Amino acid sequence: MIQLKNVSFTYRKGFSLANIDLTIDDGEFVFLIGPTGSGKTSLLRLLHMDIFPDSGRVTIGKFDSDSIKKRKIPALRRTIGMVSQNYHLLDDRNLFENVALPLHVLGRNQDEIVDAVEAALEEVGLSGLEDHYPQELSGGEQQRACLARALIKDPEIILADEPTGNLDPVTSFDLIKLLEEINSEGTTVFMASHNYSLIKSRNHRIVEIHGGKLRAT
Amino acid sequence: MDKFLFLLGEGLKNLWRHKLTVFTAVFSVFLSLSTIGILFIAEQNTHKLIEYMRSKYKIEVFFNDTVTNEQASQYVQKIRMIEGVYTTTLISKEEALKVYESQFGNDLTEFLDYNPLPASCVVNIKRKYDGYLKITPIIEQIKNIEGVDTVNHQGRLIRRIEGFYEKGLLGLSGIAFAIILVTVMIISNTIKLTIYANKDLIKALRIIGATNTFIRMPFILEGVFQGIIGTILASGLLYGTVYGANELLRQMTTFTVNVQWMFLSWLFLIAMVISLFGSSRAISKFLK
Repeated sequence: MIQLKNVSFTYRKGFSLANIDLTIDDGEFVFLIGPTGSGKTSLLRLLHMDIFPDSGRVTIGKFDSDSIKKRKIPALRRTIGMVSQNYHLLDDRNLFENVALPLHVLGRNQDEIVDAVEAALEEVGLSGLEDHYPQELSGGEQQRACLARALIKDPEIILADEPTGNLDPVTSFDLIKLLEEINSEGTTVFMASHNYSLIKSRNHRIVEIHGGKLRAT
Repeated sequence: MDKFLFLLGEGLKNLWRHKLTVFTAVFSVFLSLSTIGILFIAEQNTHKLIEYMRSKYKIEVFFNDTVTNEQASQYVQKIRMIEGVYTTTLISKEEALKVYESQFGNDLTEFLDYNPLPASCVVNIKRKYDGYLKITPIIEQIKNIEGVDTVNHQGRLIRRIEGFYEKGLLGLSGIAFAIILVTVMIISNTIKLTIYANKDLIKALRIIGATNTFIRMPFILEGVFQGIIGTILASGLLYGTVYGANELLRQMTTFTVNVQWMFLSWLFLIAMVISLFGSSRAISKFLK
């Protein structure tokens, strides 16, 4: 379960999130909608424990922002698959090596890695492109590669920060369907987007953020 | 084990991925170790020179006219006990007369009816170099022995030679230390550039839950490999230089450059310390 209790956070430059209360149950699919600069990325960064609240508490499963030790943060992040608008794929590694990276972090052996990468690429529809480098893939393919890298470690939660931001409407729609398939297998999905028309027709809870404050929808 | 092999592989692959910065770092280690090696070889061989000089230092001790040969022999025993004294040679009154005769062709006793030459002693000091030779205390102790009349020595010259050598040694150590410091800075900065160029990789690794050790390790291993390559190149250059110098010297003199090649393992150790310290320093600053 994901829970934010009365969370506030202020950047040095002034922007702040104020009194955020949000609970997302295990296996739920939730959209976070709001215009650019409304605090969507900051909220996801709080969940990824990239930043910590000034007051209030963030809880992700057994991890708690109040008590988590710095050295335990990587363990939290291993339970989360992060997908972002900028992909963060490594240009000097091919698709196979990019997707395999999380399993190297977990210390898996080569045979396991080969099987898992093949399965993850098949799930996102990129089979056969293992030897391609990121710059040889389209935007949609790069985003799916990013998703495959997030999925390969079997995360409990997927945090997606504007994953459709650089994609055309058809590819965006395909990506959301893919996330729904992943969600149907029990993975919690929390996806931020500024594109209301893309998500309104999906049958999921929508949380709205404006000026750093959540609004009920 | 799989994780370790992956990190080792990444460290090796990084050498190719970061060719330019690796070249800079390897070249720095190579230059630094070659210079330190040459300073070390020079220092080892000037040791030989200082030991040769010490074998030539002599102290001449003249006893009073009244001291008999037997008494002189006892005093010489006392001189031999002084720390820093290597050998003593007693020259009896009769031997002194023979030396005089052989040098001047005259028998003094024919004119004077007695032998006016005193017994004396030649003192050689220890040759083995184990620090600055303190000649003054040796001379003072000899002067304090009963029956000693005059002590002739080149104390001032010895002090100047030894002092010059000690200062040179200190200077060389200072230069070596400065070179090591500069190399650490260069390696640290080149790895910082590498890390900066790889900020996407570090970001991606953080996102997927890599620990700081995991992120750090390939960069540190890269630094260690740079150290190993730099040491191999520097060792090759030093070996070649000494071999070439000895070939040349053999045609002209009997003097050869002697090297205890075990010092290469020290060079290797220095390279490891430089590389490890340089790379850890760079990555630690970045991961704060």
